[in-house]
Amino acid sequence: MVKRKLGALEKVEADLPNLQHKIRRDPKSYIEDFRAQHYQYESHREIFMSAPTSATDTGIISLRDLIDFITHVADCYPEILKDFPQQLIDMLMQHHLVLEPELREKLVGSIVLLRKKDCLDSPTLLHTLFPILISTPSKTLRALLFQKILSELRTSNSKTTNHKLNRTMQTVLFNLVTSDRTSSKALWAIKLTRELWKRQIWTDSKTVEIMKEASLSENEKVIIGGVRFFLGGDKEREEMEDESSDEEVDVAGIKHRLGINKKTKKKARVAQKAMQAHRKKEKKKNQPHALNFSALHLLHDPQGFAENLFAKHLQNTRSKLKLEQKLCVLQNSLPPRQPSVTSFLASLAQASHDLVPPDVLEPLIQKIANEFVSEASAGEVATAGLNAIREICVRQPLAMNETLLQDLVMYKKSKDKGVMMASKGLLSLYRDVGASMLKKRDRGKEAAMGLRSGDREQRRFGQEEAGEIEGLELLEKWKEEERRKRRLEKGLASDAEDDDEEDEEDNWDAWNVEDDDDSSVDGEWINVESDGEIDISDSEDEGKDRPSKKAKQDAEKAEEKVEEKKEEDAPRQSAFSKLATTRILTPADLAKLAELRAQASLESAVSGNKRRPGQLPQSRHTDDPLTAEEIEGLAALSAAKLTREEKIAHAKEGKTDRADHKSKEAKRRERKEDLGKSTTNKEKARKKNFLMTLGKARSKNKRSLVETRAVLKAHHDRKKRGGKRGNIGN
Amino acid sequence: MGASAKRKKERQQDFQKPKLKVGKARAKPDNFTDTSFRSKAIVLTQQSLQLTAPTSNAVFSHHLSLLTSKSDSQRRDSLAHLTSSIASRPVNSPLPQPVSVMLPSLLPLLLDGSNNVRTQLLKLLRTLPSSDVEDHVVQVLPYVRAGMTHLAADIRVTSVEVLSWLVEAAGEQVVSCAGGWIKTMNCFLSVLGWHTEESARWSSNRASFGKSGSQGRPMVKVLGALADFLEAGVGEPSTGNVEQQIEADVDSAWPFPLCQTGHHMVSDSSAPYTYLNLFGQPRDAEGEMYETREDRFRVFATRFLPAVDRGLKSAREEGGELGRASSGVSKVLKGALSYGPGP
Repeated sequence: MVKRKLGALEKVEADLPNLQHKIRRDPKSYIEDFRAQHYQYESHREIFMSAPTSATDTGIISLRDLIDFITHVADCYPEILKDFPQQLIDMLMQHHLVLEPELREKLVGSIVLLRKKDCLDSPTLLHTLFPILISTPSKTLRALLFQKILSELRTSNSKTTNHKLNRTMQTVLFNLVTSDRTSSKALWAIKLTRELWKRQIWTDSKTVEIMKEASLSENEKVIIGGVRFFLGGDKEREEMEDESSDEEVDVAGIKHRLGINKKTKKKARVAQKAMQAHRKKEKKKNQPHALNFSALHLLHDPQGFAENLFAKHLQNTRSKLKLEQKLCVLQNSLPPRQPSVTSFLASLAQASHDLVPPDVLEPLIQKIANEFVSEASAGEVATAGLNAIREICVRQPLAMNETLLQDLVMYKKSKDKGVMMASKGLLSLYRDVGASMLKKRDRGKEAAMGLRSGDREQRRFGQEEAGEIEGLELLEKWKEEERRKRRLEKGLASDAEDDDEEDEEDNWDAWNVEDDDDSSVDGEWINVESDGEIDISDSEDEGKDRPSKKAKQDAEKAEEKVEEKKEEDAPRQSAFSKLATTRILTPADLAKLAELRAQASLESAVSGNKRRPGQLPQSRHTDDPLTAEEIEGLAALSAAKLTREEKIAHAKEGKTDRADHKSKEAKRRERKEDLGKSTTNKEKARKKNFLMTLGKARSKNKRSLVETRAVLKAHHDRKKRGGKRGNIGN
Repeated sequence: MGASAKRKKERQQDFQKPKLKVGKARAKPDNFTDTSFRSKAIVLTQQSLQLTAPTSNAVFSHHLSLLTSKSDSQRRDSLAHLTSSIASRPVNSPLPQPVSVMLPSLLPLLLDGSNNVRTQLLKLLRTLPSSDVEDHVVQVLPYVRAGMTHLAADIRVTSVEVLSWLVEAAGEQVVSCAGGWIKTMNCFLSVLGWHTEESARWSSNRASFGKSGSQGRPMVKVLGALADFLEAGVGEPSTGNVEQQIEADVDSAWPFPLCQTGHHMVSDSSAPYTYLNLFGQPRDAEGEMYETREDRFRVFATRFLPAVDRGLKSAREEGGELGRASSGVSKVLKGALSYGPGP
């Protein structure tokens, strides 16, 4: 007999997965086999424990396999495996530094699995994993542990909030943060807390307390983590929510498809499900949000915390931080070669505002100018410097002195386009805010005239502009137009004063935006008042007053109008503020205001009106965040010329593959297919299998003349009728 | 047809001769791979250029290191070489390498997948002098136990054979070392499938776990080994008079006024105080050392006797070779029981 070859002996014989499968199906019958494997695990463990470092993969089955196997069937034999979880925990805790990575990973995974099988409670699990997380030097293990801990906390909080577990964990984290303020181990506490906060698992004050302690610690990484949390915690949370509710349901599409496609029960069910989901989401959207306490709200003593933070990290000159103190730090460390210097500049610009004393900023600007802006420096560098200076000056124009400004403005003649643009930007800025500091020939017409007439005054330090409602002038204009239209409809003089009563009625309606318009439409009864005064100016405002005060205010109004007539070219701002101050804006008004504002911005965007180079875009506010890209600005323009390859790559960038080059017809067909639509009859005919058409073609050949005639005639008739069924109406 | 014309062109292209030009390098083929590289230094690994042949000791340790080789035949050949060099060494000369060095690389091979390697290993172990093995029983036993409960039946059989060799070589150490008694007994029961009442019944599948190996009659061998083991552990101390003889020798070694001085001297075994377990993990009942026959018998009577009795009964009922093998175990057991817990 030929000897049987046992090629893959290992696989055939040591089939642990097979045994595992059998055990899971019938634990009682296989208890002997399991016991044997458990003994084997015990002996392997003994071998391993006697020499954890030199543990090798011995033979066919390794300790790793055995652990895996036993873990998977652990819930079948709780009696035999009483000590098993503890053994694994001991193994991991004692030897995690020297274990080989695979076994280590298996141990962590097994412990977590045991938790899932309820052979282990979650506090034990967390108490096992967390100390390892903060002490292990291995990056992969840390990542794994972090993920496991997080998911454990999530699952244990998924059904109901597990207060007990949360409390113990928070205490552990808190102690970690407070015990050693200089160590960076607290970073893990921060990471964990932040993640759980983001997922709204931990939302209580204890969480915030941890972060507070973290931001008051000594280690800079920890501080930054903590501070970041307070600055952006809520935002992250919202983003997370948005992400989770991204699955859009295309209801219209589903309805349409339901109407067209074949109706089966399954399809109907799917459609119904989709509709339900959609409805649920709508409902959710309309619901008021569950109160989303910001982290700061939960702080015990926010003011104290803020002061503490300030005193600790900002006033202390030795601190290594870079918040507002960047101003000092920056002054010492601004060589253009430093990486990410543009983001430094951006944050500097953003940190400055019009209440920063100019004499603090002035040396900084001087420094930037010296370091960045010179003939010798590269174009990009100079551009970045000029842009940074401009951004600072937008926020605090007083920080600039005259000679420096004039120097910088000279760069508008630079050959480098980026530098030129940036310099022109600075110039145009100062034409607006401080024309007197410019040389006469740089001022431009408007600024020069403004200076001469004296209305272009430079603002002093700390001077605030009077507040106004953005877009109010648009609203006013619109109101006037409406009124004029109404007048024209009624055939009155376009400027005449309208009936107060009716206006008032309108107004009361306007408080209720959602109301039907029916009530206000029935304007059959017009009471023309006997003393209806005729005002020449736009008297929109009068209508809004309550009747009781009307007489008195009318008098006032009349006076105002006269005054307005007198000074036609007075600054419009006073008129705007009047609209806001003399009447109460109804919700309808506000809605209209928002609409008008949106329209205006749209128009300005569409018309693409030419801005002066470098000027701030209209849409940008000085409080908006500033990025390094904006500081770099047009630096790309001053970069070196592209090589040929780069040019080719650039040209190819937007274009699709050659393979996608198809006829219009093919593209259309593809699109149709993508949308799940069917083909036309013509296409079907074209695609029809040749063999299927063969029979008919053959029989066609054999037709007699009479038959042919009949067929042709029938075809002609059918054509005339418009298809087999005929067009309806014919 | 358009497509075929295109294909024809493609086909033709394959056989077109590349045009060679004078003064130009030949065009590289399509599948040309650039294998050139730049390096600061090129180091050639050293080859042994010695004229003299390596010493037998060096060869021995080389083969010892080859035991972790990937290929089975290499492992087997190395084992064979080690065996022959141990066996052929002059009488009473020490081993080329001490056992404590050899064992760490030998023991993992107990669980090796290849049959040949394991049989060769067994041969090698048999050549080792038993006096050297005695001190390392604690290291060997875990591997033996792991093998006895292995899923692969062949490995189980080999490790039972190894155990019987070990009992033969150092029986007293095997049964008295830490974990040597209870754990090994457990393994025996699990190999035989005698653990529970149900599994000892004749209808149950005896060698249920794993696939049966290629070597036949595993049960007989296991029963034989069990008999040896029990004999070593709780067997009737027939060597009592021998002990007395030794005692007498010891006594006679000292001059008259000193009596029983040998007992007060430091023991001459290698690790006399291991039972204190000063530096190891704390042991549980199973891992404890049972140094005297009395202890072992007590444990055996309470924990294993019913199961063994049951198993033996069913084995006897089965008859045949198995029944004969079981009678050996029964005999040992009878002797032990008649001797009782000891004097």
